[in-house]
Amino acid sequence: MFFRLQLPLILTFIAGMIPIVAFFFTSEATIVKAPTDRLEKWMVIVAGFALLLGVINVIQGNLKKIERRGPGWPYAICLLVGLLVPGIFGILSAFSVGPFQGIGLRADGGYTPFAWVTRFFFEPLQATMFSLLAFYIASAAFRAFRVRNLEATILLVAAVLVMIGRIPVGDAISSAVRPGALASFTEWLMDKPNTAAQRGILIGAALGAASLSLRVILGIERSYLGLEKSE
Amino acid sequence: MESTGKRNGLVQSLRNFDRRWVFLLIGLGTILPIIYPIGFGVSTTPPVQQLYDKIESLTPDDVVMLSFDFGPTTVPENGPMASAILRHCFTRGIKVVVIALYPIGGRALAVQALNEVAPEFPHLRYGIDFVNLGYKDGAQALMKQMGEDIHGVFPTDANGDPLSQLPLMQRVHNYKDISLVVSLATGVIGEWWANLINSQFGVPVAVGCTAVSAPKYYAYLNTGQMIGLLGGLKGASEYERLLLDGHPSVSAPYNDPTRFNAMKGMDVQTIDHSIIILFIVVGNVAYFLSRRRAARV
Amino acid sequence: MDPTQAAEAAGYFDRDRLNALVLFIVFCALVLWFIRTARQNRNLFIRRIAGLNAVDEAVGRATELGKKVLYVPGIGSIDDNQTIASLAVLQHVARLTARYNTELDVPNKDPLAFASARETVREAYLQEGRPDLYNEGMVHYVTYDQFAYTASVSGVMVREKPAANFLIGSFFAESLLLAETGQASGAIQIAGTAEIAQLPFFVCACDYTLIGEELYAAGAYLSRDPAMLGSIKGQDYTKALVALLIIIGMVCSTAFHWPAFAAWFQAR
Repeated sequence: MFFRLQLPLILTFIAGMIPIVAFFFTSEATIVKAPTDRLEKWMVIVAGFALLLGVINVIQGNLKKIERRGPGWPYAICLLVGLLVPGIFGILSAFSVGPFQGIGLRADGGYTPFAWVTRFFFEPLQATMFSLLAFYIASAAFRAFRVRNLEATILLVAAVLVMIGRIPVGDAISSAVRPGALASFTEWLMDKPNTAAQRGILIGAALGAASLSLRVILGIERSYLGLEKSE
Repeated sequence: MESTGKRNGLVQSLRNFDRRWVFLLIGLGTILPIIYPIGFGVSTTPPVQQLYDKIESLTPDDVVMLSFDFGPTTVPENGPMASAILRHCFTRGIKVVVIALYPIGGRALAVQALNEVAPEFPHLRYGIDFVNLGYKDGAQALMKQMGEDIHGVFPTDANGDPLSQLPLMQRVHNYKDISLVVSLATGVIGEWWANLINSQFGVPVAVGCTAVSAPKYYAYLNTGQMIGLLGGLKGASEYERLLLDGHPSVSAPYNDPTRFNAMKGMDVQTIDHSIIILFIVVGNVAYFLSRRRAARV
Repeated sequence: MDPTQAAEAAGYFDRDRLNALVLFIVFCALVLWFIRTARQNRNLFIRRIAGLNAVDEAVGRATELGKKVLYVPGIGSIDDNQTIASLAVLQHVARLTARYNTELDVPNKDPLAFASARETVREAYLQEGRPDLYNEGMVHYVTYDQFAYTASVSGVMVREKPAANFLIGSFFAESLLLAETGQASGAIQIAGTAEIAQLPFFVCACDYTLIGEELYAAGAYLSRDPAMLGSIKGQDYTKALVALLIIIGMVCSTAFHWPAFAAWFQAR
């Protein structure tokens, strides 16, 4: 029980208090600053090992799916190929084996194998997924911006005004009334009401996060260990 | 009766509107203006003007730190900002120190931007007029450490050459030697520059961010923690417009029909925003008509 | 400690952070006071949070339809408070799915969060007395890349059509992609994040949204643990104090031209 409950709570308390105490000391106070730096480095190392755990989990799960011909099993093969090929390229590149000389561009500007996979597979796929946002925002706006009640109407009007104000058409429309009026109003909307609301949410969220952190450090909140408070 | 029936059918169609039509129109609204540019005008806003004026006020003795804190996904928004700011600095002879704090692609994008812009200024010399320090992990801690000693954080540049061998870096040791930090950010790193570095070290900070992040940066602009903000593609296009109006000598790349720039992107944004607004209007019309029909029934 | 040593030690204290230290002590004092009060008096009022009240309804819907519950704990790591808050909600959801024998799917982007989520779900099933229903495939790791993870989760939503989607934790650009895909698949969606830029997307595309501090209060709200509810009370009183200080600072700076009060609170 000590290793499952008390030890993690003690470690959490120590690891939580060190950066808090270090925050109030200058950089000359190495006795508190050095442990904080070391904790940050340890975090990176632990995350690296946890990544290995994740990769093993992915491989195990997808191999099982292929073995029992589960739904979508050909895609599991694609996933494993996508995992292993760049991974192997990266490892070989790190050790400069054969044509795998580094992960960046070659001296002549050509692509190393890893850079080629990154440039012609990874980056276009990422850009494609990100581009979906443009389509989804349109369908979300079409569906969600309805004059159902007062709040929805305010949301609708603000969104439409900001959208028009951000494009040259808005300038053309407002020049009929007063040049630059719509753009100025849009800026005012972003500068005043939007900023005020953001600050309010930010203050609330920051205090909420601080409260949660305090609960975690004091061992009141134990959900991250999979335990309830009563244990 | 027949017209009522037709209206009910129209309302039903609008209510059951397949969103794939929305996708198709957005797709066409994106592709066509790129193939057939329209050339809508661009008006400037104060946050962009402030950054432009700040760089205009700098001299060839000043150093600007340009931090590539974005990845490949936001290149359409942040990429034009990088090119425009580099061109502005190079045109005015301002020295530039380039770093990258974004792990996935930041370094490569910094190299790409320098490879694109530097050849346009053949009189500039690497190591004297600009340097690229490359990427380092550990954003917040690293940013704070640069306030004490940049050389300790980046002992070599992106090519592996010691900073002591670079004439520019012999006089740049920490933020006191930097006149302006411009962070081109996709995520939270821009906030760290404004929140932590400006308040702790007093170095002026400006951020070029994606449009979705822009609203949260106005708070920092208001408090003076930032001296300028480029918000999304619109902000990038405004900066390009200011640059072209103030320095027509850099217009060649912007007149090249084969190259993308933010002003061309504004054509796309204009058409797409107009389509979205149209759909919002149509959706609300259908909503009101169906409510009226339900009330009558 | 002799005077020289004392002066030396005092020199290490960052005087620019004195304002933060004072506020930190006041905040801790308020939270600890209310935790103590809550342990003595269990009738603490916390306002209704619609999104959290709908958790049981969402899991119940999935049970009736015979479909799975998809729980996305965000893309943050375990050092992100939003992820810890999400795990608290996951614990509650996992207990419900164990109780009702509903399928649960928890795809993860971060390896550390994955390890914690697996532990959380396993323990939840154990506490409900249904360890037989738990299987390792429930909580699985997908990939570290943001958009590859989004593509995978979107694929699950489109192919398997979960009846209930929980999007709770730290989200960035993928928030709208996930929420809109989930909306199109017909699931009831409960979202929660403290990322301000993503809140509008969740509000538009989801049935219920936990905004900012509601996410952090979720664990306490669902468990009804007196100590945790007391900490929420303490946090709320601190927020009231902050609001009061803002008003005082505003009055001092504008009506009395005395900016020193507001300047004392400036971050350095």
